[in-house]
Amino acid sequence: MNKFLLKCLLIIAALSLILSACGAPATPAPTEAPVEPPTEAPEVAPPTEAPEPTPEPPVDLEIWVSGRVTEAGPPPDDWAAYQIIKDELNVNLKVVILPGTQADQDTKINTAAASNSLPDVFFANRDAWYKITEAGLTANVEELLPLMPERTKTHYSDPDRNKQVTYNGGLYGLADPGNLVQTDAMVIRKDWLDKLGLEAPKTLDEFLAVAKAFTNDDPDGNGKKDTYGLCAFIDGSGLNAAGLGPRFDFVYGAYGVAGTWNLSSKGDFGLNVRNPNYMKATEFIKTLNDAKVIDPDWPTLKKDEFRVHWKQGKCGMMQENFAALSTKSNYADFDANFPAGEWVPFDPPTGPDGASSAGVTIKPARIYAVSQRAMDEGKGPAIARLLEWMATDGYMLLAFGQEGVNYKLDANGYVSTEGLEDAAKWTAKEAQPLTQLANMVYIFSDLELQARYPAYKAASGREMAPLSYYAAFQKQAYTNSSGAAVINPPANAADFVRFYSENIVQFVLGQKPLTEESWAEYIAGLDSLGAKDVEASALQTLIDASFIE
Amino acid sequence: MRTLTKSWDDIFFQFLVNAFLLTLMVAVLIPLWRVFVMSITPLHYIDTKTLGLWLDPRIWSFEAYKQLLSHPSFVRATTNSFIITLGGTVVNMLLTVPFAYALSNPDLPGRKFFITMALIPFLFNAGLIPTYLVVQKMSLIDTYWAVILPGAINIYNLLVMKSFFEGLPDELKEAARLDGANELQVLWHVVLPLSKPILLTVGLWYAVGHWNEFFNAILYLNDAKLQPLPLLLRNILLAANINEYVEYDAFSSAPVSAFRAASVFLTMLPIIIIYPRVQRYFTKGTLLGGVKQ
Repeated sequence: MNKFLLKCLLIIAALSLILSACGAPATPAPTEAPVEPPTEAPEVAPPTEAPEPTPEPPVDLEIWVSGRVTEAGPPPDDWAAYQIIKDELNVNLKVVILPGTQADQDTKINTAAASNSLPDVFFANRDAWYKITEAGLTANVEELLPLMPERTKTHYSDPDRNKQVTYNGGLYGLADPGNLVQTDAMVIRKDWLDKLGLEAPKTLDEFLAVAKAFTNDDPDGNGKKDTYGLCAFIDGSGLNAAGLGPRFDFVYGAYGVAGTWNLSSKGDFGLNVRNPNYMKATEFIKTLNDAKVIDPDWPTLKKDEFRVHWKQGKCGMMQENFAALSTKSNYADFDANFPAGEWVPFDPPTGPDGASSAGVTIKPARIYAVSQRAMDEGKGPAIARLLEWMATDGYMLLAFGQEGVNYKLDANGYVSTEGLEDAAKWTAKEAQPLTQLANMVYIFSDLELQARYPAYKAASGREMAPLSYYAAFQKQAYTNSSGAAVINPPANAADFVRFYSENIVQFVLGQKPLTEESWAEYIAGLDSLGAKDVEASALQTLIDASFIE
Repeated sequence: MRTLTKSWDDIFFQFLVNAFLLTLMVAVLIPLWRVFVMSITPLHYIDTKTLGLWLDPRIWSFEAYKQLLSHPSFVRATTNSFIITLGGTVVNMLLTVPFAYALSNPDLPGRKFFITMALIPFLFNAGLIPTYLVVQKMSLIDTYWAVILPGAINIYNLLVMKSFFEGLPDELKEAARLDGANELQVLWHVVLPLSKPILLTVGLWYAVGHWNEFFNAILYLNDAKLQPLPLLLRNILLAANINEYVEYDAFSSAPVSAFRAASVFLTMLPIIIIYPRVQRYFTKGTLLGGVKQ
């Protein structure tokens, strides 16, 4: 019996493989008749009998996109948009959702590029885009912009973003709005301030004083010494987050040296660590650490662990993302643990010279490139047609699904899901595949933000409005570092960043003395790893991309 | 009758060995237990207390498992993984066994040539791009074959199996041949019944490789309907990690660490079920296959 069963299983497995191989769609055949770009009609005598216009064959377009929800899969085969795109734009669209991580995306894109099989339109991270563009595999897209006027106005009119896709003076990519900017800023426990009779700090000295009070004066009133003035962790990786990362940028900002780079001018350009103020800022953080007012786990905490700590009521001040802090699902546990707890934004403290910054801002671009092959096949106009439709008639469909089914508009014209079937709501897990291309259409308008970050009443009865945090963050001072987006990491980036960051941590923790001499040694160590070459190369890139005159 | 008495030295030695093994076992079990505890930790608990090694069973939460198992793509991805694992292992064995058997025969004409040809790609791998081009030109993109065929014969496994076959007594094969059996019959009726350890060992290696498959799937399977479970779990975890941007967080009822731990357990599960049944053959197969007699 067992043998019989085994044989059956083997046969089924072999058959299923054969069938699946036969049944799966092959790679799309190239378009036989590319659409010609419109030309001026020649003057001809009117025909005596109007011939039947020959319908042009549809254009096959394959796009590789970064989905709104990476694990949700592509839109279903019967997705309404496919038919509309075919009927109205004469385009057969094939959508491939790229994997979730940047590394996986780069691998897939680079492999396709190396084998000259890039799709017609594809999302690419900037490093991958740059290499592919250098290899001549992406097309200059400037001729497409006049063919999609509305999309150009709403998506491609930001000079800082366009600089990120500029190569040899031409636009070789479409820089869509990436993410919201200025989303992370300082917040403080107002209930603790009130209990201790304190004000939110305005200077670094006041910050230290409040942090000490939050640590030592039992602000939660539980009789235990289990609170800290500041919670933070080493956030991010890579050259642009080198050092202690963005969660400590408010201190560096108070000394005018937030972020990795000084991008203020060509003469001042360089790594911020060369500025003596960087050492002073590091000294201040060391002071906080020595005073034991920072959550002591900060050097090893991960992002989700950091978030557990503030939900556990350990933190009095922190730099946090507005959505991570205040959206319904993220706020629920803090609300349950501390119904009277309240986080309020406060301006980043000023330093000795009056400088302040909540952090650096890099205008993120979501880069879509058009393959040179697609342009050579004459698909440019069809691509422009599709992108323009996405920004106009197709916008709501791609962003929120079908009206009346996945969303509806309330009296104020905002997106709502009230009264709709749960599984069909655009926010439901089941409906996620329907809005997978939303990242290609989002422009972060008020309509989108109201839909994505709605106000709600927490279980404690507190009225929560995530966008009020966002609005407060927008008013704060940030350091514009958009040029950093185009700086290519050096070949030894991993070693360079490790040396850069580990030494700063060791200075703060007291594992290395923080003196003028040791700091000079540290800078010399960076130079031995090629810091000067990194700076020279970065400066040239910034000049080429017009970020620095 | 002579009785065996143990000296204090023997007892002390035995004690040391047992203590060492016990320590080793605990060192292996603690991380596994920790992962299990993490996977059943409810969100409200992790947000109020520090997680240790012990968690009161009364507050165990299987929410992370529930969320993962109820994902709309979970069943499809699991089916894909089973098809790839089962089908891939069948293809692997169908190709590896005859090749290894043929190479184990010292009288095979051109044996050295075939062994050399097998060793060349083993030592000098063609690399990602040439393999991708071959898969693409054979129109295998977006088919299960794309993740099965490129690794259809693992040369290391082939050599281990070849060594095992070489270790089998020639007399048995000769006897079958004298009885009129051809080589296929010798392989089927004589060699394979004696080779259960190596078949199960190599089969397990292949199966584990296919079950954990995600890299080739990223490259070759553009159609999400064909993607295997490890790729889906990877994407779910990534989504959970960046949840500050997910305004309607799908994973609000379990912590990210619980998802990570639960997905580790879910991916391990089939191997945990299969491994004990194969274990008794495993050491034997590896040892016999690795030693040339």
